[in-house]
Amino acid sequence: MDMYAVRTLRGQPMRLALTIGGVSLCIVLMFFLLAVYRGAADGSVDYIRQNKADLWVLQKNASNILRGSSLVSAAQGEAISRIRGIQTVAPVLFLLQTIHKEGKVRTIFLAGFEPNKSLGGPPQLVSGRSVRADDEIVLDKSFAQKFGFGIGDEVDLQGHRLSVVGISRGTNAFVIQYAFVTIRFARTLIGFPGLTTCFLVETDKGADPEQIQEDIRRGLPGLEVYDHPTFLANNIHEMKSGFLPLLYTVAAIGAVVLTAILSLLLSVNILERRKDFAILKTLGSPFVFLWGMVVKQAVLIASASSLTALIIFFPLIQAVERISPEVSTKSSLGQVIGVVIIVEIMSLISSLFSIRRLHRIYFLEAFA
Amino acid sequence: MNEIKKAAPIVFLAKVTKTFNDSVHPTTAVREVSLEATPGELVLLLGPSGSGKTTLLTLIAGLSEPSAGTILLYGKNINQFTADGLQRLRAKRIGFIFQTFLLIDSLTVRENVDVVLRFNGCKRAERNTKTQSLLQRLRIEHLADKFPGTLSQGEKQRVAIARAIANDAKLVIADEPTGSLETKQGIEIIRLLHSQAKEENKCVIVASHDLRLTEFADRILRMVDGVIMEEKAYSP
Repeated sequence: MDMYAVRTLRGQPMRLALTIGGVSLCIVLMFFLLAVYRGAADGSVDYIRQNKADLWVLQKNASNILRGSSLVSAAQGEAISRIRGIQTVAPVLFLLQTIHKEGKVRTIFLAGFEPNKSLGGPPQLVSGRSVRADDEIVLDKSFAQKFGFGIGDEVDLQGHRLSVVGISRGTNAFVIQYAFVTIRFARTLIGFPGLTTCFLVETDKGADPEQIQEDIRRGLPGLEVYDHPTFLANNIHEMKSGFLPLLYTVAAIGAVVLTAILSLLLSVNILERRKDFAILKTLGSPFVFLWGMVVKQAVLIASASSLTALIIFFPLIQAVERISPEVSTKSSLGQVIGVVIIVEIMSLISSLFSIRRLHRIYFLEAFA
Repeated sequence: MNEIKKAAPIVFLAKVTKTFNDSVHPTTAVREVSLEATPGELVLLLGPSGSGKTTLLTLIAGLSEPSAGTILLYGKNINQFTADGLQRLRAKRIGFIFQTFLLIDSLTVRENVDVVLRFNGCKRAERNTKTQSLLQRLRIEHLADKFPGTLSQGEKQRVAIARAIANDAKLVIADEPTGSLETKQGIEIIRLLHSQAKEENKCVIVASHDLRLTEFADRILRMVDGVIMEEKAYSP
């Protein structure tokens, strides 16, 4: 009877193919959303994660750099550097800026940093070098790919001509990409020489970071200070709160569509074979046996669809990344297993919807 | 004086009525029917289409509930069975033969027989042995891996009989078993059912309008409009 489940499905090959196709696309959608989420989640905070700063100092009440504004002054940086136990204080100024190319405008997240300090610059370079002078810029890899910039090209930034000297990685925040210039150049763009978004602080070896944080808070009440793990967590939280609801909504729609397609196929199979089910009931089939056949069909379709989705997914991702380099994705075995488990659960739920139809098949139909 | 001991009835019906209330006018398909059927006898319900034969069979098999009257199956009132109890009863103690065979087209001959043994709780090895032996008995072992769609009517009916007797039930219910068969095949099937009653000591209840069956029946109950008009023992 295990074969009954398979043969019933195979009896309508076109319908089976369409169902597997539809369910596979829903699974691909879930794989894709998860991969984009992981890619965006990592890309958004890679700059912070890979930074070697022990402490991040921002304006009071600012907790992150992704969705918050912070303005601090160069004088406050000097005050911080005088606190005992601090080795380096590196100011960074973040600005949303536009680059002009061939009449089109591209937005970037510009990070102005001090090139002579080890903090605040591009976390990883895939080619070229970091900026040294005010007329140089480092661009994110996906941004450079998407808009056709390479080492040695010139970038028009608010009328200033900057030379591309490096291409960075870990600087794609999905909706926007980082670019790096000197802080002096960044400040000229806004016209406030001492303005800074935050300070990246490196402490002396053996210094007590908690004591230093306490000293900064006490000495500079207008500032907020975070250790590296806390600041990273704040930014991840901000990123998730902006991104996850959308992800969950689309993934939930995918799961509902998947369940609906599967329920429809299983229900149609039951209705078409209702005489068979009536015969089996008359012959003394336990209900669990009939139920098991429907569940087997659901699990078979879900498994075949998951396999098809896997075959489609990886080439699809490569194609998407070629067309839109800013869409950076990350997939892991855990993600794949997680989605497949969800799909199997949804298939069981869809079989529950269909199983209700079995109750409406009567013995007497076998005699009709 | 020597008294012949009669076996306890497997089927006992007392004044059973079945009325369907699914339309504006209720229809009584079976009216105050009483009958007994014991192991070793073939009981023929004879009557035209619409006379209530099939409804009576479904009542006997516990597939529908009587509107009035009492039905005892294997000595137990059918009302005392739970739904699960009735399912187990059908799986283990009743064999069914349907008018148009009603084999499951997507299963092979072997699987069609095997399924009943599975409902009966038999293990795989036992099922395989039993199915093989049944197919041999009914001379259809060469059809074991064929699908019903490729069989002749006579072959299909043999498979249906193999399925009906697979669970070794003492009660076999057949609804128009010769209805779709040519004369020769029909007679062959009747002989098989008759041998089940006489050689295997089973109680075989057959509903039919086929008069050829009368010479094989121990008792004939003529049904008209849901009523048993006449009951007689067959005398050649």
